[in-house]
This record gives sequence, structure tokens and C-alpha cells, in this order.
Amino acid sequence: MDEEDLVAGHLQELRRGTVVLACLLILRRPNYGYALLDLLERGGFAVDANTLYPLLRRLEKQGLLRSDWNTDESRPRKFYETSAEGSKLADLLGRDWDDLTTAIRTLRDNP
Amino acid sequence: MATLTDRYVDATLRGVPQAKRADIERELRASIADAIDARADSGDSSADAEVAVLTELGDPARLAAGYADRPLYLIGPELFLDYVRLLRVLLVVIVPIASVAVLIAQLVKDGPTFDHIGTVVGTAVTTALHVAFWTTLSFAVLERLPAGERPVTGRWTPDRLPEVRESGRTGIGELIGETLWVAAVVTALLLAPRLSPEQDAAGDPINILHPWLWESGFVYLLIGLLVVGLVAPFTSYAVGRWTAARAVGAAVFEVAAPIALIWLAATDRIINPAFAAEVAWPSDMAKWINISVIVVGVIGIGGALVKAVRRAIRR
Repeated sequence: MDEEDLVAGHLQELRRGTVVLACLLILRRPNYGYALLDLLERGGFAVDANTLYPLLRRLEKQGLLRSDWNTDESRPRKFYETSAEGSKLADLLGRDWDDLTTAIRTLRDNP
Repeated sequence: MATLTDRYVDATLRGVPQAKRADIERELRASIADAIDARADSGDSSADAEVAVLTELGDPARLAAGYADRPLYLIGPELFLDYVRLLRVLLVVIVPIASVAVLIAQLVKDGPTFDHIGTVVGTAVTTALHVAFWTTLSFAVLERLPAGERPVTGRWTPDRLPEVRESGRTGIGELIGETLWVAAVVTALLLAPRLSPEQDAAGDPINILHPWLWESGFVYLLIGLLVVGLVAPFTSYAVGRWTAARAVGAAVFEVAAPIALIWLAATDRIINPAFAAEVAWPSDMAKWINISVIVVGVIGIGGALVKAVRRAIRR
């Protein structure tokens, strides 16, 4: 494994859990699969489509997202929206993220 | 004609439970179409865009496994150690038992032939394959049960730590190996008078080994020495610790059979001359067999002495 792969592997490991939090936050405003993928990519959360689409269904099954078919346009799309339970989890994960940021900063500033 | 997208969606839905198919199809088609449109807007031809989007989505079987929440491995890390342990125990216990049972059944049956060795080896191989296959299949099924229903061997605690291995102690595998080896040699010796590829004029088998061994009863002494040679590994396994006296005693048992073999070879009592004549061996063939037996015997004695010294030092 060369150095580039090594770094990529650690980065992927570090970011793995952030996709769920990002989804829950973005979907406080209802949106559909491809648009969410695009928003995540723009936001710097690299996630593959074949990971995201099954993930949305899993989160819905866990009650963290709600879904609704929108048939107003010519192409019907499944819109997901963060549920009340999902918002609660997003708050909790967000606080944990802040704690981690503080903890890491403390470590960095006190060598 | 079906488009690439049609084929992709169809391939994905094959791996998804029936009840979810309609909904997943509708959503997946919309997502693919959205992605193709986005690429086409930035200048790709629609054919290129379709290929690029589907390439990015990757193997449909992988996507289907994601939708169906199926693992993409046969046996995961949670069960893997249990799997390896169980497989090892089953192989070590079942394969020798099945082989010995078949050997006995063959011997009880009418006159033994060379086929019996093949049958026993075949049984061992087939049994090992069956054990490995069914164990692997069972664990692969377990892996796919809902997490709560898995019979796990329980949480690991330090109580489960094995005792520290004492150096020089015989392991169970080595013990089984040595026992099977002696059993095979004893069986071959007992069968030798009846088990031969050559027959004499009267149709009786010609023993490969020297008839003197049976006339004098020496063959039974040899068998006795071979069995006694097993005392050393069994003691080592059961007791685990060596003393200088035990190491010397074990060495005496272990060198007895090789010494007897060397003496037989030196006095030309290994190969039956009648057998050598029947198969028309070259005249010095028997001499070379005797020399080989002596060499093997010397190596056996050397090995036993080296082991004895090691055991005495490491006790």
C-alpha cells in the first residue's frame, strides 16, 4: 500500500460517520436522492451513489427519515425529510461532533 | 430494445425482496435519469452520460446487497473465530474416526487387497471435504440470521485462556499422527502374508517380507516394539514435564524398533527371496532395500537421541 492509499484510507475512516449527520441536517428541508448526492458532494462529503441510496432507505426504516412521492413534475421523485426523531439524533450527533472538535483542539494545542 | 439503464435496473431488482421492488425501481430510475440529465447538461452526449452514470453506480449486485442489507462476505469477523475453532476440532476428531472405522470394516470383510488402502485414503479425503463444506455452509447461514438469533459461544473472558504450552510437550495433533502411523505400519505387517500383488503356482499370495519373520515369530516382537515406542509420546502428552530419567527411558523405547530393523536388514531378513525372484528384480535390489532400511533406522535412532537430549535439557 503506498502512502496515498494510506492517507485516503484514514481519511475515509475519519469521515465515515459524518455522512449520516450531514444527511439528517440537509434533509430538514425535503429533498430527493440525486439532489442530496449533489449537495453532499458540494459540501465536501464524498459519498458514492451506491452507498447513499441504500443508506436513505435504512434511515427511513429506522424512523429517522420520512418519505413521500412527489408526482407534481413529469419525473416522479421520492422526497425524504428528517423526522422528529431524526432531528433529535442530529442534535445529539452534532453535540458529539462539537465535543470531539474541542477535544482534538485541546490535544493539538497542548503538545 | 432494452437500454443499458433497463438492464441495470433489472439486474439490481433481481437481488432485492419482491415487496420492495416496485418502490426501489421507481426511485432508482429517477435517480439514474437525474444523474444522466446533469451530465448531459454539462455537455456529454446522452449515451456517454448513461455509461458514465452506470459505471459510477457500480456492480448492480453490490447495490442490491445494500438495499437488501445483505453482507458481502461469507463469514464475518464476529463468527470467524468460532468457525475456525469448530472446524479444526471436527476435522481432528471425525476424520481419524471415520478412517479407522472404514479400515476395520474392510479388514473384517473377506481377504484384504491393495484396494483397501485406497478406500481408507479416499474415505479420509471425502470425510474431510464433507466436514469442511457443511461447517462452512452452517456458518454462512448463521451469518445471515438476524443478529439476535445467533447462538454465539458467549463473551470472551480471561478464564478461557489456555495453559501456557510447556516446551517439548507433545501436542494432540502430533500424538494422533504418531498413533495413526504406528497403526498403519502394524496393519501392513499383519496383512503382509495375505496382501501381495504376486501369486505362486497354487494361487496363494507371495509375501513381500521374509518368511523367517513369521517362522521365528520375530514379526510379533517387532510389532510389540513399535507399540512400545508410542509410550514416549503418550507419556509426554499426559505428563507434560520431562525429567532426565524419563527422557532416557523414552529414548530406549523409541530406538528399540529401529535397532531391530537395522539388525534384520544387516542379516538380510527383510525381503522374501521368492518374491524378488517372482517379480524378477535385479540381483542387487534386495541389497539396496537393506541399505535403505539401515539408513532410515539410523536416522530414527539419531532423531530419538536428539529428542532425548532436548527433553532432558528443557525439562
